[in-house]
Amino acid sequence: MAEKSPARPPRVRSENDPFRAYEEQFVASPDPWAEIAKLDHGSDRTFGSTVRAMVMNAEPAQRPAMEAKLLAALAAPGLTPVGQLFVCRMLALIGTAKCVPAVAALLLDNATADAARFALDAIEDPAVDAAYRGALGKLGGNAKAGLIGSIAQRGDRGALEALKAMQADAKEPAAVRTAAARAVERLTAKS
Amino acid sequence: MNPLFLSRRAFLRNTSLVSAAAAFPAILPSRMFGQTAPSKKITIGFIGTGNIAQGHLETLLGFDDVRILAVCDVDKTHRDLAAAKVNTGYGNRDCAAYNDFRELTARPDIDAVMVCTPDNWHALNAIEAMRNGKDVYVEKPLTLTIEEGRALVAAARKYGRVAQTGTQQRSSRRFHDTAEFIRNGGMGKLSRIEILIPANNKYVGANWKPEAVPAGLDWDLWVGPAPFQPYTRQGCHYNFRFILDYAAGQVTNWGAHYIDIAQWALGMDESGPVEVVGDGEFPTTGLFSTATKVDFTCRYASGVTLRCRTRYDGISDGNVRFFGDRGWVDVSRSASKASGPELLKEIAAQAGKGAVKLPVSLNHHDNFLQAIRTRGRPISDVEFGHRTTSICNLGNIAMQLKRPLKWDPVAERFTDDAVANRMRGRSMRGPWSLV
Repeated sequence: MAEKSPARPPRVRSENDPFRAYEEQFVASPDPWAEIAKLDHGSDRTFGSTVRAMVMNAEPAQRPAMEAKLLAALAAPGLTPVGQLFVCRMLALIGTAKCVPAVAALLLDNATADAARFALDAIEDPAVDAAYRGALGKLGGNAKAGLIGSIAQRGDRGALEALKAMQADAKEPAAVRTAAARAVERLTAKS
Repeated sequence: MNPLFLSRRAFLRNTSLVSAAAAFPAILPSRMFGQTAPSKKITIGFIGTGNIAQGHLETLLGFDDVRILAVCDVDKTHRDLAAAKVNTGYGNRDCAAYNDFRELTARPDIDAVMVCTPDNWHALNAIEAMRNGKDVYVEKPLTLTIEEGRALVAAARKYGRVAQTGTQQRSSRRFHDTAEFIRNGGMGKLSRIEILIPANNKYVGANWKPEAVPAGLDWDLWVGPAPFQPYTRQGCHYNFRFILDYAAGQVTNWGAHYIDIAQWALGMDESGPVEVVGDGEFPTTGLFSTATKVDFTCRYASGVTLRCRTRYDGISDGNVRFFGDRGWVDVSRSASKASGPELLKEIAAQAGKGAVKLPVSLNHHDNFLQAIRTRGRPISDVEFGHRTTSICNLGNIAMQLKRPLKWDPVAERFTDDAVANRMRGRSMRGPWSLV
């Protein structure tokens, strides 16, 4: 093995050093992983594109670190709804069971359940199925119908009895009952 | 809102022609007399009445054996114009107009549906129509994602419906004869295929701000299964095709036409390539997100390569050029060219005489109507449309990932890339689902 070089002490530039301003500017450049939390409709999405390129081009060994950065962004103070959706869509590309607890929390709210599914649908892990089943009783209307569709597409027969009950529940809106009926048909057809 | 099913009562209440008796009795659908009965009119509804639908409307109004009963569009301006065009064509006021496609597909008196919505909607519109017993004509590109394409094909088979893809070049003699010539070995051993498609549009760098939704536009239903985004004029009609949540840019807009001819000529209508590599450029900010520079290459198991790339000569057409032992032949909508004049003469002289005889259609609409009557497969059956659209999507995925990918055309999966596999489909906003 090559011998490690001794750590170099950080350079301290004098007031008159012409490179000082340049370095300060460089250091002050925003961190794309922080900026994605601030995304909004119509705003500059350059930092989002940078993160997206990094996520897409990451080697498999680099993905856990990127997943951790995405989860940090998901927990960032001031996270916008657009930023949240963006992070979820990045997790859809490289997310693993590790992101399920944080994202599953978003499943419990009609306003954020779609974004959560955007992250979780692609993750083939039983933890996602459990999270989806757990959210069934928390959501309503279109968000619930969308969740039911995801459950059916994943082929989770563990949700079958709950879906049969929803199909027959007159108190559920038509969208939910129809989604449940189609899910039951799909899940039973596979058996 | 937007329940997946409408009650019969809601259906009647929401129908612009409230009187069912007035709306339904004049024309009886062909299925009531047996679908092969030649004297019976085929009844048609339109889902989506914008840009591309206008041509279909005008064409179908000219068919004596067709009756357009209803149009549907989430934009009232488009919807009313389309209904007026139909009513003018028939000299009456019978054409029903709907905002929600599920009202149209619930009508028992409609035989077939023309799906002319943005790409984001194709699969859901078509599957719902087929579930309700309609045959479908689906504009190209067939679907937004590879998974949606497979689901659409599966629905067509499950419900026994005729499903035509709007890749109309298959109904052109020029493309047919060239494809048949290639299939019969007219070029000797084929080595490669080069496809040029037009450049992206001029709005590429557009920034945008949310705007007030115009009166009469149901924006939530327009966005449909895509992630919600506020309305902006530049991101709606026509330009939707340059936003990845709704479409895939020129790769599918033009690629769907010319890759389709390559697939036909290769005899790969129910298969596809085994490798793809791409190097596209995508806008990093602004409203539009589809590739501004397209360049990807697929390799088939035979060794033949297919390269599709953006042209920068200002020509608003594509072309496909086949290279073989004998030189090259090139076909576009405007002309056929070849490395030697004898090749063009041979193409014309040998049409219909080779061992492989490709089906002939000289009118894409008529071909669809014939398939409805005979219950046969149309010339651009959805399986073919799906396979062509899949290649467009393979290219789009490869251009974004910027690494070589191996594709299994039987399993319809990448064999070596987990991220690429996740890009074969998409999640949908509730209540929408492929199930």
